[in-house]
Formats: sequence, C-alpha cells, structure tokens
Amino acid sequence: MRTGQIIKKDVRKNWFVYLLAVPVIAWFVIFCYGPMWGLLIAFKDFKPLLGFSNSDWVGLKHFIDFFEGPYFWRVVKNTLLLNVWGLAFGFTAPIILALMLNEIRDGKFKKLVQTITYMPHFISLVVVCGMIHIFTADEGVITQLLQLITGKDYTSLLGYSNFFRPIYTFSDIWQTIGWSSIIYLAAMSSIDSTLYEAADMDGIGRLKKMWHITLPQISPVIIILFIFAVGGIMASSYEKIILLYNPLTYDRADVIASYVYRRGLREASLSYSTAVGLISALVNFALLWVTNKIASRKSEVSLW
Amino acid sequence: MGTMKKRLLNLLLISVLTGSALAACSNNNNDPKESADPAATTDSSQAPAETTAFSDISPTIRGNKTPTQEQMDEVNNTLNDTYLGDLYDEKIPSHYDAYPYKKDVTLDVWLPADSQIPDMNNQVVQKQVEKLTGIKVNFITPPVGQEADAFTLMMSSGELPDIVIEPERYPGGLEAGVKDGAYLDLTDYMDKFAPNYSEWRNSDELRRKTTVTDSGKLLGFYSIAPYSEWMWFGMLIKKEALEKTGLEVPTTMEEWHTFLTKAKEVGYSEPLNYGSTYGQIFTGIINGAYGVWDWTFMDADGKVQWGPAQPQAKDYLATMQQWNKEGLLNKDWATADFNQRMASAISDKTAAMMDSPDTMWSYWKQQNNIDFVGALNPVLNAGDKAASTYKNFKRTGRSAAITTQADDVEAAMRWLDFAYSKKGWEILNYGEYGKVHLVDETGKPYFQLDSYIYKDPDGQPVATTLVKYRMHSWPDIRDEHNSNPLIVAEGSYSGDIRKYWTENTDTSVAMPPITFTTEEASREAELGNQLSTLRGEYFAKIIKGQLPVDAYDKFLSEAKKMGLDEFLSIHQAALDRYNAR
Repeated sequence: MRTGQIIKKDVRKNWFVYLLAVPVIAWFVIFCYGPMWGLLIAFKDFKPLLGFSNSDWVGLKHFIDFFEGPYFWRVVKNTLLLNVWGLAFGFTAPIILALMLNEIRDGKFKKLVQTITYMPHFISLVVVCGMIHIFTADEGVITQLLQLITGKDYTSLLGYSNFFRPIYTFSDIWQTIGWSSIIYLAAMSSIDSTLYEAADMDGIGRLKKMWHITLPQISPVIIILFIFAVGGIMASSYEKIILLYNPLTYDRADVIASYVYRRGLREASLSYSTAVGLISALVNFALLWVTNKIASRKSEVSLW
Repeated sequence: MGTMKKRLLNLLLISVLTGSALAACSNNNNDPKESADPAATTDSSQAPAETTAFSDISPTIRGNKTPTQEQMDEVNNTLNDTYLGDLYDEKIPSHYDAYPYKKDVTLDVWLPADSQIPDMNNQVVQKQVEKLTGIKVNFITPPVGQEADAFTLMMSSGELPDIVIEPERYPGGLEAGVKDGAYLDLTDYMDKFAPNYSEWRNSDELRRKTTVTDSGKLLGFYSIAPYSEWMWFGMLIKKEALEKTGLEVPTTMEEWHTFLTKAKEVGYSEPLNYGSTYGQIFTGIINGAYGVWDWTFMDADGKVQWGPAQPQAKDYLATMQQWNKEGLLNKDWATADFNQRMASAISDKTAAMMDSPDTMWSYWKQQNNIDFVGALNPVLNAGDKAASTYKNFKRTGRSAAITTQADDVEAAMRWLDFAYSKKGWEILNYGEYGKVHLVDETGKPYFQLDSYIYKDPDGQPVATTLVKYRMHSWPDIRDEHNSNPLIVAEGSYSGDIRKYWTENTDTSVAMPPITFTTEEASREAELGNQLSTLRGEYFAKIIKGQLPVDAYDKFLSEAKKMGLDEFLSIHQAALDRYNAR
C-alpha cells in the first residue's frame, strides 16, 4: 500500500485522535512557524510604529556590533560554561536520585522523599534568589559551613567569581532535582520485572543491576532529554543571573542574556536583541543537530 | 462516596480550577464607573465657569480652618482661584477661557498603572479635573509589570489612543516617536491651545530649555517645577553614633576616617554602609571628593569628562581599599540586596548610610525610632565646598505626548494644559479643598492635621494616600517640596536634610538633560554599556582588594581602547546642542 493510502485508512479509523491533534498543530503553525519571518527584523532597525516594511535595512550591523564588542568572547564563554556545568551536574543529578528512589521499598518513606525533593520546584525564582542571598551572606549558613570545612575566612560568597558557577548550578539542582526525577521514575516503573528476577537468579548485586538493567532500559528517555538539554546550551534565563550577579562576578556570571539586558536598559532595541537571539538559536540548532546525529548513530534513539 | 457525589466534587474542582485560570485573564480596561463619592457629585453648586472675572473669595477662604460645605463647593466646583497666593518668583498662569470645553469629548489616555491605585478612572483628583474642564477621560492602563510589552504592542498595532503618558518609552525617545509618526509635533499649537503651559515654561530659562528639543521643537508636556528640587541622596549618620563617639559631623575625608574608626571602637562593627548590588557604591558621595565622579560630568571649561578617568582615581581607590581592609565598610557592600541593606542599617553594625532621607525616615525613625542627621558630601581639604553631580533642572516626573491619531487635538491639549493653571496646580498637588487641604492666610495650600492624606478614612498609610488623593508624578506644575505629605508632615525632618544638602552643595559639575540623535543613540548605548561594565568590575575588585590599585592603569588603557574618546565626543556634541537651545 502506498503511504497515501495508509494514511487515509488510518485517518478514517482514528479520525478522533487526528481531530484532537489539529489544535496543537494549528498552534505551532500560527504561533511558532508563522511569525518566524519576523526574525528578519534582526537585519533592520525596527521601529514598531513604522512596521516591518518601513523600517530601515541595516544588514549585518547588529551582528557586527555584537561580535566586535570587547566582551563578546567572555559572555559567550560564560554562557556555554554555565550550561555545560548544568549538563554535567544538573542533568545527571535527577537520574541518580531516581535510581536511588527506585531502590526504596518502604512506600511511605519513598513518598516522603519525593514530596520533599520536588517542593522547591514550586518556589518562585525571586524567592529562591532571596534565600541564596541570605544563606551566602557574611554570617549566612552556607558561608559558615564553608568556613568550618576549609578553615579559611570568607565574606559574602556571591562576591567571589569562582563560586558563582557552583552556587548557580547547585541551587538549580536543589530546586529541580525532585521534579526532573519524576520522568525517570515513571520510565523505571515500566521496566519488565522479569529482567530483575532473572538478574536475582544470577546473583547480581544492586549496583550492577542499576548499571546493566535500569539504565539501559531508560536510556531512550535519557538520550531524548539529553538532546533537548543540549539544544538549550546557548540560552540562559537571565533572571536568575541578574538576581545573583554583581560587578565582582561579572567575569564568570555575565552571560549573553544579561549583557544584552544591560544594553537594553540604555537603548531598547528590538532589532539588536533579535539579532543576538538569532545567533544563539542558530548555535543551539547546530549543536542539537550534531548531538542528534551522534545519538542516531550510536543508539536507536534519536529525535529524528 | 456515591458516584453522584464524586461527580459533583469533580465538577466543583474543575470549575474552581478553570475559574481561577480565567480570573487571571481579566484585563484592566474597566469602563469608567460612576464615582460614589458624595463630595464630587454635589450638583446644586456647579456654577459653569464664566469668562468674566470671579468674585474675590480670598477673605473667606484664606486662613479658614473650618470651611462650610458651601465654601468647599465654591472652591472645588468652580474655576475661582482668587484665594490662591503667588508663592513663587514666577507667577502661575490663570487662563481658564477654554473651560468647560466647548464640545463633548472623551479622551483616551494610556498610562502605566500605579499598583497603589486600583482604578485610575475613579481617582478623585482626575474626576475633579474632569468636572472643572468639562473634558471626559478614559484611562487605559495595562496590568502592572506589563507596561513595556503593552506599549510595544500598542505601537505595533497602530491603534493609538489620544494621549500617552510616559511617551519616552518609544525607542529613541520623543523625537524618534515624532519622526516615526507616533506623536504629534506640537510646536505650532502650543501658544494657541496651551496658554498656561506656554506661559509657565517660558517664565524661567531652565524650564524653557529642558522642555524644548535641540532643534527648537515642542513635542510634549513635561512636569516642571517652580524650583530645582532638593538632592535626595547623601550621607546620613545616626544621632546616637555621634553621641557615642563624641565627635562632630565629619566634613573632610580625614575626619570621616577618624569618625568611622572611632565608631568601630565604640561598637559599630561595620560603621559605614557603603553599598549594595543596586549600585550605591558609585553615587558621587565619597568619590566626588577626588573628582572621580560616577559617570560623565562637566569640567570648569564646560567640557564633558568621564569621572572614572580622572587623575585622582588612584588615590580614591587606594583610600577605599584601605577602608575596606580596616573593616570600616559593610562586608557585603558588593552583594547585598535592598532588604539585606536595610537590615544592616537598623542593626547595631551601622553608624552611617549613603541613602535617601525619605527612605531612612521610614526605616530608621518611623519603624525603629532611630534619629539621624544629614552630612554634606566629604571633601579632600578643609574649607572646600561639597559638590555633587546631581542637580535637578526643574524638570522631573512624568510627561505626556499627543498621538497622531488624536481626534480632537485642541481638546487633548486643553486637558493637559489645565494642570499648569493655578487651579490645576492646587488640585493636582494638594487634592480636594476641605477634605485634603486648606489654604493659609497667605494663600498657600497645606495639609491640615486631620486631612485625608494623614488620616485616611480607609486607614491606608501615607505612602498610599499620597497617590490616592493627589497626583504625585504628572505633567503639571510639580510642587514636591510643599505638597509631598512625607516631606511636610509634622516632625518630619527628611525635607530639612534635603534642603540643607542642596543649599550647601556645589552642583556646577552636573550635566543638564541632554538628548542624543537617533544615529548617536545606538552607538552611545553600546559604548556606555561596555564602559559601565568595565568600570564596575575594576573598581569593585580593586576596592575589595582582589586587584591591586595599579590595576587601574590597565583599566584606563582598556577604556581608551574601547572608545572612551568617541563616547565623550558624542556627549559633547549633545551638550553643545543643548546649550544652543
């Protein structure tokens, strides 16, 4: 049967499911693909009132402005590194938590741990940053702990640029680890229990079971989520950065988004920020494509 | 439970969820409701404004501490302003010929919302203005926090209201807005349709200069005051700190060092609260003593210079680095946010702050009964005059522009113009006569002790009533010194401190409000951002001790490489154009 015939047959049989999908597809077309031509304002000096066609064409001016700035390499490096840390620690932490939770037999304790770990997800970012300010202050809990451990004297931790990435990353993990582990736990619950029974019979220990059974079984989920994560490597939510950074930590904390934000405070330019966003999106897409390619080669799992 | 009950429960939960989700979607474009305020709707005494002269009612109103309802109606519902005195050097205009406006007009006015005012269409002052001018207004306010997006959307949609408050939001400012066809060029209409505004702005050179563009055009209505408003930022010392140390208020850098060291000895562990993440460390207070101003300033020849590049910068940085090492500054000056800073302020760690006396009036005096005094900016040598780059050029507060889609331009201008008349000045700054203000023997409005501003019938604090019963920031004759209830309240000395600072500080280095052309603006923003990042980093690190003072040389060469000279030339060009206005 040709593809067309196959599709027609399926639609006739499952028309309701296709009908449910129509609003979703329409949403993507109208709000995501439709406005894409608007990216062209990156090449113009866009003024909202003049509209697209009447705004001046400036070609690559905004891109050149961005590339030639003295801080270009620094903000790009900081953006990348911050996200690499996020990947290395922030991506693996929920998996480890899920693995550990999976081993707990006591239902009540498991639920308790789960609830406690995913509650921080609901706290607003501003409140979390306020908490970080207080905990890392001069007499703050974390500062004192650090002084106790290392024996050295520290003042407010947010003033040290080499502490910025740890503080940023680990507070992120604290906030998201519970919530992110849910999807892995869900995947784990669908693992065929006969695999474990067979492993028991062979006398394999817990850790080995995790490594040889659990992880491989949920690897499709891990790979897909990893590809997504890589696709966000050049982006960063600037709100948390702006709430936590200060001139002492600019050299590690200043990312593309926060730099452009300060620029926007002096002169709100829709075109400039679109240009910068376009570059970030292109880099993201390139990395996404590469990661997907590798994933499809090495495993059977990939986005496309 | 039974299936029926379960179904009902599910239905209830779903409707609660949906309801709460939809509630968030409600917009703020409420239809103007009729106000239930009885005083505003007394109809019997609504005398239509005649162009003939009013009878002089000053004998009955001036000095009257208990006006009758009839007297209050006479003042509130008519355009009679004979009882108001001429308090300032320049006379406030009294042109009322246009009111009530000849046609039945409703103006659409867009303005950002004030979170303290739930519905601008019901604000008492605006309703009184509506009554007196005969021009109806429909205020359009976007949800709080979404002003920037709402403004951009409004511009992009091409459907503009009649008037826009805070028109500078347009990228490139008012001039760009006029060039792109959003706002009207009002130059030809001003004298005809805005006699009060024209007379008021022309009666003083600063008011005239700061409200016209470099090319001589009049593009909007600005908030312009009869005087330069006081400095609002400076050194504040706890009274008890002076008593405990037994020292006088310091004036020179050396005296400050002695004072702070002594303060540390008597128990103030971090005597000077130096700054926070929102940028207090560069406010010209201490660095000004060395001439190392925060940003651009005007030197003795009228040329634009950049503070951080001045010759004494290294001395300044060395001194602050030393003070930091001696523990005279709060340890978290680089990282503290507002709450942490205020918490330090009211603790026993702090003896002196660099902040606004209005803020500290609330945090120190009102909440913790800590008295304080203001100190002038420190100087290097005894006898030098304290200086500051802050100067108020008589123009502050919100402004208004008329859009190209205004149906009745004259009506829009007449409505805005009313604010610059004597009656407008009275109502917008002081609110309603009787309930909110009275008039003294010299014809000066003032808030009586039991005014609604201090004793709100709804029990709201002064911070709210100052926008509830008056217009705090509006395109009008701004009278902050006399009509801000926080300043003029009995016992409040924050105003006195500000006055003391202003009268004794040399502000010849202050830059006037210059504007950049559209070609310059983009480059200025780019360079400005880079230089600001550079300075912030280097200075903070040097003072903290993470870099040696000699790192300053590297800073200076990097700044020059970035384009400091180009940056200065852009500013110089703008300053020259301003001077030629």
